[in-house]
Amino acid sequence: MRRRSERPPVWSYWVVLPTLLLLWAVIAQGLNSSLLPSPMTVLETLMQESASGELWRHLGATLARVLVAFVLAMGLGTVIGLVMGRSLRANALFDPLLVLLLNLPALVTIILMYVWFGLVEVAAVMAVVINKVPNVAVTIREGARSLDHRLEEMATVYRFSRWQRLTEVWAPQLFPYLMAATRGGLALIWKIVLVVELLGRSNGVGFQLHLAFQVFDVAAILAYSLAFVAVVQLIELALLQPLERRASRWRQREVAHA
Amino acid sequence: MLEIRIRREASGHSILGDIQASVAPGDRICLLGPSGTGKTTLLNAIAGLDHSMAEESILGRDRLRVGYLFQEHRLLPWRTLNANLKLAGASEREAERLLSQVGLSGYGHYLPDQLSLGMTRRAALARCLAVKPDLLLLDEPFASLDPVIVGELKARISAILSDRPGMAMICVTHDGNDAAALANRLWYLEGRPARLRWDGAVHSQASTSALMSRLRGVAKAV
Repeated sequence: MRRRSERPPVWSYWVVLPTLLLLWAVIAQGLNSSLLPSPMTVLETLMQESASGELWRHLGATLARVLVAFVLAMGLGTVIGLVMGRSLRANALFDPLLVLLLNLPALVTIILMYVWFGLVEVAAVMAVVINKVPNVAVTIREGARSLDHRLEEMATVYRFSRWQRLTEVWAPQLFPYLMAATRGGLALIWKIVLVVELLGRSNGVGFQLHLAFQVFDVAAILAYSLAFVAVVQLIELALLQPLERRASRWRQREVAHA
Repeated sequence: MLEIRIRREASGHSILGDIQASVAPGDRICLLGPSGTGKTTLLNAIAGLDHSMAEESILGRDRLRVGYLFQEHRLLPWRTLNANLKLAGASEREAERLLSQVGLSGYGHYLPDQLSLGMTRRAALARCLAVKPDLLLLDEPFASLDPVIVGELKARISAILSDRPGMAMICVTHDGNDAAALANRLWYLEGRPARLRWDGAVHSQASTSALMSRLRGVAKAV
């Protein structure tokens, strides 16, 4: 059951990304237009925004929204997915709703939330959560359906408590699905949060992008985007990967018998 | 201590037919029969895992502690042997003692997937004992093991049984020799839907073999 590493080797990042940067610098040099500022200009903008504290304030606001929306969406989605995966009746009840929500454009939810509840924080976060919950639920439902019935029987015979069943039998089996939902979740949520901010908030990276767009300040747009990509990567490297390694340690052990 | 009453569904494709039997403390029953008859289904019904029967009552089960050795080890693969035994109710010290009883001293910190089939089966047997069972259910305990290991495992189960005179055992097997080695009573399950064709004492290997061939003969005649 050992899984092959799906990530490309580290050196590929050190080749592809600098090449891209070089290409960008050359083209910017050639065009000499404010519509494509050079990497140095973007870096200067980034330093300025960082020094003034604006960058951190807006990044913080966006991250706070991402965090709240993520926790709510994962919690709700996991519960709904588990119930749907374990009960045919619940699945029959929720499945049409899920199909509807999965096909609803994020923009529609955002506009409706703002129209119905006003341009307030709760509406912004709700819009993100409503967009994400169906994805989490679908992923966790797959996990709940694939739970090993033989271990269920074992847990019944050995009279596991409800809590033991959840933590000892279900959680390790659901972990890959939770990780998949987390990965996809973060990627989707931070994109939607930017749109939500662009449409109706007065802080956050999305709001800054909106301002920069109005004056065609491409350097600011790129500076804020790159800063955000860096933060997302940092979360991936510092939080998600160590967590995944830790929880899948039991798969990697060497075999003891000959 | 256990009263089994299973009634067949009137218009169903149930595997088990009408079955009535009782199990007393200290009974060592071997459940024999052709493959695919429903031996495992009956064991599951006794353990309370199968509810497909129209009318099924296993009187007395709720009061019993049951240890069930499944065909697969069904240990939690993400937990060590010690942790698996503790989840079944053993203390740290009991877990170590039980593991040494099945010949796995020092393996408490291993994960199930690090061990061989024979070892995981013994670990699963230790877990059966961790619940201090009144009733031990064994489903094909000797399947897919090589003969040397089978002999060793048989000796261990015999020792476990003689240590616990009050414990009842039901052991599914298709080998009459197992019955002679471990059992004092024999159930023969056969037919579709399956019924108990025979419920009687076991005396010796010779008589068991004779009985087995007679039962098989009956099966062919019917």
